[in-house]
Amino acid sequence: MIDLLLEGLESALLPCSLILLIPGIAVALAARQESTPALVGFVGAAWVFSWLRFSATVDGFERPIVAMAFAASAALLLVPLLRRLDVLALLGGALGGAAAAALWQPCVGENFGTLLGELPDQAPAGVGLLAIYLLGVLAPVIALGAVMHLIPNPLMLPVRPVMMAIGGGVLGLLALTTAVGLDDNLVSKLVSLSVN
Amino acid sequence: MNGRIVAGIIAVASVLGIAFAALGGSENDAVVGENQGVTIQDDASSPSSTPEEASAGDALAESVLAGPAPENFGAAGTLVDLDGWLQTEATSLEDFDGQVKILQFWTFSCFNCKATIPTLQGLYATYGPAGLEIIGVHSPEFDYEKDLALVQQAADDLGVTWPIAIDNQKLNFRSWQGSRRFWPRTYVIDANGDIRFDHIGEGAYEELEATVAYLLANGGA
Repeated sequence: MIDLLLEGLESALLPCSLILLIPGIAVALAARQESTPALVGFVGAAWVFSWLRFSATVDGFERPIVAMAFAASAALLLVPLLRRLDVLALLGGALGGAAAAALWQPCVGENFGTLLGELPDQAPAGVGLLAIYLLGVLAPVIALGAVMHLIPNPLMLPVRPVMMAIGGGVLGLLALTTAVGLDDNLVSKLVSLSVN
Repeated sequence: MNGRIVAGIIAVASVLGIAFAALGGSENDAVVGENQGVTIQDDASSPSSTPEEASAGDALAESVLAGPAPENFGAAGTLVDLDGWLQTEATSLEDFDGQVKILQFWTFSCFNCKATIPTLQGLYATYGPAGLEIIGVHSPEFDYEKDLALVQQAADDLGVTWPIAIDNQKLNFRSWQGSRRFWPRTYVIDANGDIRFDHIGEGAYEELEATVAYLLANGGA
């Protein structure tokens, strides 16, 4: 199990994982002081929807639905009248996590490969192991949530509007590019910039 | 507020602890991977391997020959609407009919794909003379990986000498793998066109070699 966690952590550094990490970071930024329930929703939904896909329980998700999930996530996290409710932050994060998992096409190491090979036939055990791997992959997002949780609210106050704008903007951009089938290009541009 | 700070510190410390553990684990994993690749290449370059056919014959261990036949997963698909081929005169998968083939979906910036290359190189050196062909189906994840010049450059840098099919639109990546699509994905196709090995990700190198060895020793099927 520890090998699987370590492999997940290693994958967090790879471009293949950006489509999971970028929405996760955006959710954390957009949710601000509700980042904890939002990230619990994000990680939980990413886990469930990854399992649904990789166990072949579902055959995939239509792009318009994924795009709507990103847009709804941004709306639930940003709409001022609703943002104070933890349950809506949880739901907003969950929609973001589900959409990200629907688009994720991982690069696979040895231990994760073994798990994926067995997942369709060993669902009960595999779902727990997938959670362990995902905790590794999403460690940067969890770390960001922890840091945001640690910083006192008064210190966060001045930068909140900027964080909201960045987080909401990224989720909105993901919704738009996914709707028109250009989400690959968006992530590709980011990878290309980072490589260069 | 105190509880909030303590919870935050615990969370950050946990993540840092995991990260440090991961760094150590990654180094160990890398060593294992290198050793696996070297082992196969050592076989290929051993003194007994000087005549190529003899080398391939030496590698076909008796235990493999006597072992059970690899599972048959059914007929393999074909490669359609490709954007070209590199490092071969072939123009379709059918040009390799009758041969035992390793077909791998990969992309050059995929860390895990690159980690499998030493093993494939070893297998190509060892079993290529006996009839094994390797076909790398390059299915890019990112736009910049669609540039043929960059693919060729990466192949040269990584020591990929086998034929490369260019699948820039990922049509074959999707049609072969269905909803469960990953990099890398490695298949072995027998001389009859049936899939006899299917593995996601790195690893299963011994099973891969055993499958190839069995098929080559049994007339390709």
